[in-house]
Amino acid sequence: MATETQAATRAEQDLTVEEQIAHLRELFADAPEVGKQAFENVFKDLTAQASQTPPPPVESAGRVGIRLGKVSELTIIVPLAPGGAERTRAFLRLLGGNLAGADDVGTVHDMRFVFLDNDTRMLFATAYDGDWDTYIDDFVTKIPDYLDIIDSAWEGWPGIRSPDAKDYLAEHQVTAEGWYVANDLTVAETRRLRRIGEAVDEFLDKVGD
Amino acid sequence: MTVIDRVGGELRRGRVTVELDDIQATVLRYRPEPYYGTHVMLNVDDVRAGREFLRDVAPHVDSAAEWWRADEPWIAVAITYSGLVALGVPEESLQSFPEAFRVGMAARAEALRDYGVNDPKRWEPAFGSGIIHIGVSVFSDSTEKWRRTMDTARRHYEGRPGLTVVSAEDFGAQPGDLNPLGYRDSIGQPAIEGSGVEPLPGQGPAIRAGEFILGYPGEAGVPLPAPEPDVLGRNGTYVGLRKYQSRVGAFNRFLQANAGTDDERELLAAKLVGRWRSGAPLTLAADRDDPALGADPLRNNDFTYAADQDGRQVPLGAHMRRMNPRDTEMAVLADVNIHRIIRRSTTFGAPYDPNALSPQDDETPRGLHFIFISAKAMATMEFLQQEWINNGNFMSLGDERDPNVGLQEGGAIFTIPREPVRRRVHGIETFNVLRGGEYFFMPSLSALRWLGNLG
Repeated sequence: MATETQAATRAEQDLTVEEQIAHLRELFADAPEVGKQAFENVFKDLTAQASQTPPPPVESAGRVGIRLGKVSELTIIVPLAPGGAERTRAFLRLLGGNLAGADDVGTVHDMRFVFLDNDTRMLFATAYDGDWDTYIDDFVTKIPDYLDIIDSAWEGWPGIRSPDAKDYLAEHQVTAEGWYVANDLTVAETRRLRRIGEAVDEFLDKVGD
Repeated sequence: MTVIDRVGGELRRGRVTVELDDIQATVLRYRPEPYYGTHVMLNVDDVRAGREFLRDVAPHVDSAAEWWRADEPWIAVAITYSGLVALGVPEESLQSFPEAFRVGMAARAEALRDYGVNDPKRWEPAFGSGIIHIGVSVFSDSTEKWRRTMDTARRHYEGRPGLTVVSAEDFGAQPGDLNPLGYRDSIGQPAIEGSGVEPLPGQGPAIRAGEFILGYPGEAGVPLPAPEPDVLGRNGTYVGLRKYQSRVGAFNRFLQANAGTDDERELLAAKLVGRWRSGAPLTLAADRDDPALGADPLRNNDFTYAADQDGRQVPLGAHMRRMNPRDTEMAVLADVNIHRIIRRSTTFGAPYDPNALSPQDDETPRGLHFIFISAKAMATMEFLQQEWINNGNFMSLGDERDPNVGLQEGGAIFTIPREPVRRRVHGIETFNVLRGGEYFFMPSLSALRWLGNLG
């Protein structure tokens, strides 16, 4: 899945921005009325922006997925093994749906687990710092059981200790076509800035008193 | 002098669960003190000549048996991927090697963050060109033994049609065994389970042998992927070689510019590395160098960071702390034990000169062959280069990089935590510039014979 998407992206990049906008206009000619109207409304803006320096494009996050600055995206859609949804749901409910235990990982911005299609498939999505497989080996030795508790719900999951685990993840990952990151800061940097902010406030309180 | 002499004659013996008599000596033997030696790079033009060389030299390649009491010089042999191809190793066996090894270090420049002054385009031409096939190294603790052992090695590779010497570089023979920037180095080494010796004080619990030697369980409980057939992979390992030119002038200028007195300069030099010139760690010698401590392998590594989590003794970004964070509470979940490497680095060229200050001094041939050994050397080096060397995120240091082997961008800084506020030192440069590198496979002794008898 990932490979096809990236090939398509490359083909688009061979066109000039003007050509891409012209192509978009053709596509929207067949869009429903609201889409067609919306496109005409922003057409002038798009054309005006074409002459400006565009923001940097997304980069590869490594084996699969894309990255903007320091933050990468990961989306996995995977069929569930029999009983997998029930087990995972019961486990997530034990946690009140809050995976706060992931605080210790230090590279994960967010995670979501979504059951799809009558509990037969799962969507797992996360934003994380750095490249695709940098820390997978560390998870294997540090937190293997927490990963396998959830991932054993996935059909055919070989176990995080298996040499096939990375291939399994890569095969079920779908690379995002669009990606936005508000703060190009790692989790560690965000926490550091929070500590600095608190220290500055404390200092200012003392000065102000 | 070997490690056993330096600790006063005896090491606490442990169980042996790895096949020491089949593993090459370099994997476990510590570099002697003092040390002398040569790295020879060979090219195999004729498959038969290459195989004959391996067959003839194999009996002279030392095993790790009783590695702790070895005071004899030794020969080590390792082979690059293009070397395995030149030796006519069967295709399915070649394909069983990891991709990063097959394409080589230069082709992995992006993953290794080797760009700018470290870009393979700027390397010495032999490196990354595919002409380096076999590396032969001689390690010794005296000039006389070194010459004698080199004669043995040379007898086998010289004058053999189809085998040519690409380069031969002598190393060691440094006053005080200091590295090119003037420090005692290669002190922190991982303790390896089942290697026959209990960990030295401060080495931490022994790490599963499979992290360093192929064919044994690693930290995840299973053996790491090994090349096939079994006779080729088992008891072998991977060696990474990175040749650095040390810019001693830039290093000295940096120290001069950021310290007012000799004492302040030496303290700054210690903060960069985490150890004083003698090897004494700042954790155990906070205010001044302690050469007796630095020279004592039973004491110079015997510390933790439990009482120094904020880095007031050893800065969080110091070279030693980055390469082995020990019990540092890192900002990112990481298992220190799976990112350790065995280090057998060697220093070449002119000795460190504290008065060398000019840009010309940066180009005086002087540097080190950074040599690291691991059963997954390629993956580990990519991790280290990306996360612990050319990044500061894991220590909440933002974009700060390793002051010793990091590739520095303009405006680079080094943070020294202290009371009441930290000091940030500006103007840090790339003090060690990469001039070349290769990945090698270091076969077991039986694999060397297998390779020699192919076909």
